Amino acid sequence: RPARAATRLTVASLLGRDKPETLIWRHVAEKVEAALPGAFAFNIVPNAALGAEREVAEGLRLGSIQASLLTVASLSAWAPDTQILDLPFLFRDPAHLKRVVSGDLGTVIKARLAAERFAVPAFVNYGARNLIAKAPMLRPEAVRGHRIRVLQSPVHAALWQAFGAYPTAIPIPETYNALQNGVVDMMDFTKSAYAGFRLYEVVPVTTETRHIWASGVAAFSAPFWDGLEAEKRAALAAAVTEGATYFDDLVETDAAAAMRKAQEAGGSLVQPEDLGEWQRIGRSVWPAFAGAVGGLDRIEAIAAA
Amino acid sequence: MAEERFDRATAPSTRLRSARRIRHVLGAACGAVIALLLVEVLVSVAMRYLFGSALFGADEAALWLFQLLVALGCPLAVEGALAMRFDFVTERLPPAGRRLAALVADAFVLAAAATLLGGGALAARAIGGLSPALGLPEWLRPALMAAGGATTLLLLVLERSAAGRLPRLLASALMVAGMAGLAFGLGPSAGLAPSLAAGLLALLGLLAGAPLPHLLLASAAFADGFGGALPPPALVATTLSGVAKFLLLAVPFFLLVGSLLSDSGAAGALVRFAAALVGHRRGGLAQTTLLTSVLFSGASGSSIANAAFGARTFAPQLAARGYAPAEAAAIVAATSTLDNVIPPSIAFLLLAAATDLPIGRLLALGFVAGGVMAAMLAVAIALRAREGDRQPRADAGERRAAFLGALPAFGLGAIVVAGIRFGIVTVTEAAALAAGYTLLLALGGRIGWRALGEAFTEAGTGAAAIGLLIGASAPFAFLLAVDDAAGAAGALASSFGDGAWQVLLAANLVLLVAGLVLDIGVAILLLGPILVPVVAAAGIDPVHFGVLLVVNLMTHGLMPPIGILIYVVAAVTKLPPAALFRAVLPYLGALLVALLILSVGALLVAA
Ligand code: NA
Ligand code: NA
Repeated sequence: RPARAATRLTVASLLGRDKPETLIWRHVAEKVEAALPGAFAFNIVPNAALGAEREVAEGLRLGSIQASLLTVASLSAWAPDTQILDLPFLFRDPAHLKRVVSGDLGTVIKARLAAERFAVPAFVNYGARNLIAKAPMLRPEAVRGHRIRVLQSPVHAALWQAFGAYPTAIPIPETYNALQNGVVDMMDFTKSAYAGFRLYEVVPVTTETRHIWASGVAAFSAPFWDGLEAEKRAALAAAVTEGATYFDDLVETDAAAAMRKAQEAGGSLVQPEDLGEWQRIGRSVWPAFAGAVGGLDRIEAIAAA
Repeated sequence: MAEERFDRATAPSTRLRSARRIRHVLGAACGAVIALLLVEVLVSVAMRYLFGSALFGADEAALWLFQLLVALGCPLAVEGALAMRFDFVTERLPPAGRRLAALVADAFVLAAAATLLGGGALAARAIGGLSPALGLPEWLRPALMAAGGATTLLLLVLERSAAGRLPRLLASALMVAGMAGLAFGLGPSAGLAPSLAAGLLALLGLLAGAPLPHLLLASAAFADGFGGALPPPALVATTLSGVAKFLLLAVPFFLLVGSLLSDSGAAGALVRFAAALVGHRRGGLAQTTLLTSVLFSGASGSSIANAAFGARTFAPQLAARGYAPAEAAAIVAATSTLDNVIPPSIAFLLLAAATDLPIGRLLALGFVAGGVMAAMLAVAIALRAREGDRQPRADAGERRAAFLGALPAFGLGAIVVAGIRFGIVTVTEAAALAAGYTLLLALGGRIGWRALGEAFTEAGTGAAAIGLLIGASAPFAFLLAVDDAAGAAGALASSFGDGAWQVLLAANLVLLVAGLVLDIGVAILLLGPILVPVVAAAGIDPVHFGVLLVVNLMTHGLMPPIGILIYVVAAVTKLPPAALFRAVLPYLGALLVALLILSVGALLVAA
């Protein structure tokens, strides 16, 4: 077979070289190298040096970046129906989420994202979002009247409004100070990001509400993906699908290590009381988003899946 | 006959009048945007504290307003002090050389404006999506930049043709075509890293005296020909995301505080009080400038705001006391480096976000480092003090009167310090409260409507120019990141050996060199995550190194070619940047001595 020039691709990672967000791409690069030696030249750029998540997503559409992990929250700007994966208290555990995105809903979302120029071979799971504050937030009433830092996402804002809290979208670089100063009283985050930003220094108590499973996708720029020869595309798709499982495992290990780090620094982890009431209030926002995500029937069907 | 002469005389001046009108409208629009931004942030603070509810989407609206501001102010940043033109070389050229340099400089402006126009239009078609909180269509943002590029072209044509220089502008346009032909024709086979090609082109634009933001944009655009990963639509989107930084919103507010403080008379009162305290010493007002900068630093997180404030408040007073205007401006620029070292500090926020370093310890050590820097600056000021900068010792009654007169200005410091430290508002909100408070002071001081409008226009156009510069450095940072310039920097840091002092020395040198071509914020985001682990592995406390990194990079605010603090002070004082770069050398030396002392301190603690 004649020697061909390697296909170059720039891959953006938001976190450091030793974080799952970067390691997945090193893993993918090794797998495709083993399958098709010399076919691809990966340039993996860590530490959000190519921009925050929103900018990376724009870079995929505008041709400056070829691949990255992206959260569902960031993609809802282009495909609002992906918000279904971000609905509170919809998924019971990682296996439930994995089953759903591997099924019909996954196919529908992939097609929807392809129409928005994101080629998506696989879904990933960043872990559960928990409520973190200066004190335990055992019951839903404890949240009422507090200011909470949220992602700039309608679902997240609606969720905390339903609990009687005041959602405030504060960018992540200002969040530590805002929590320390009491501009906001609490926030929600995954365990590994919580420790990564050393937020246990200012909000030491994690109440393990697991209200939202932070899902994401391994996304490629569609013009890049569609321009690949079939053989290369197949090899890359296989490597990314395998890489997603590798990522999900890494995230679980990372979350455990993150909580150990937080606990050594005085952080603590508590379990919420009356989970049924948390779920009832959280799920009360489903109808407001039913129209955008394909109807309440679809939501109920996923909940039961 | 007479009529004919009349026609010929008015034709160019009509164009000039149109150009002036466009500038006037754009300036007024910038002022209006700042006013809106102020109202918006103050209302969201009020909503939170008076009604207990947050204004969801307020921060997104503020970022959109800031991007609108930059698009509006972009055409104004070509001329005047806002252009941040490096004039060190051009002012030494013979007339023919200057004319050629002007042609090259205009070529960079044309290329940048064309990139904004074309890339913005393409990005508007391709970007898609709605903004997360407000649901505004995202294509509006690149479309605004395209409009900014179009207006820049229009203004350039009007002004050059009014000056009878249309043929020269055409020559510049041919130059752009030639450069694009070379870049895209030979670039792919040149084997030059895109970031290096962009760097060389930027150097050419710099030497020719092209406006700093435009030469950065144009160089990154040409670098696309060298296999660069940044096609024009992505370049414009990257520029916009460089502008849309929440922490940057504090800049226009602190600029507004600076203008309104001077107009309200509160700044004069502050100077009188400081002079009553230390004015009788040798270099009394210069030491007062330093002391005020320290106090201001404790309230503000932006050295640029500090420089703008100091340049407006102290530079004229220092000049009146016998300092050469450039020396007065240099003192102001040098003391404003303290703002990002003494907390609160935007630089430490960026570093903590990029490296996981604990912000609490960074800020605590920032006080120590700021103290060492201030002490070294005090020594330099004492050594260079003018005899005339000394006044009779004030008696107790005069000091008391001066203190009471300065109370309103102290109220400003109290608002910002209390606001940020004791947990009421974010940095941006504190800046807005400070601006609102100063506005009340100015209204109380019966400022006229005209002066009020001018203060807003000045703050608006100044903030737009600074925002454009920060945005324009983002595509450059992108190219450097893709070429792994940071990885190369990490390897360099280990090049003298693995011992603590060798690594620290090498890391400092890497920062000193990188800071020459990178914006400070960009350098922190790019180099912090690479250098901190390398230096920590050599046995130095990573937090100590984080502070050194910020101190080191802050000195670049005073160094050519990018020295942002010099350009800001030059813009306010209307002095040529080249003169300031010369005058600041003794104070730059003092800050480098402070860096040396702090580095030795970090080594002693590590040993
Ligand atoms: Na200053
Ligand atoms: Na400061």
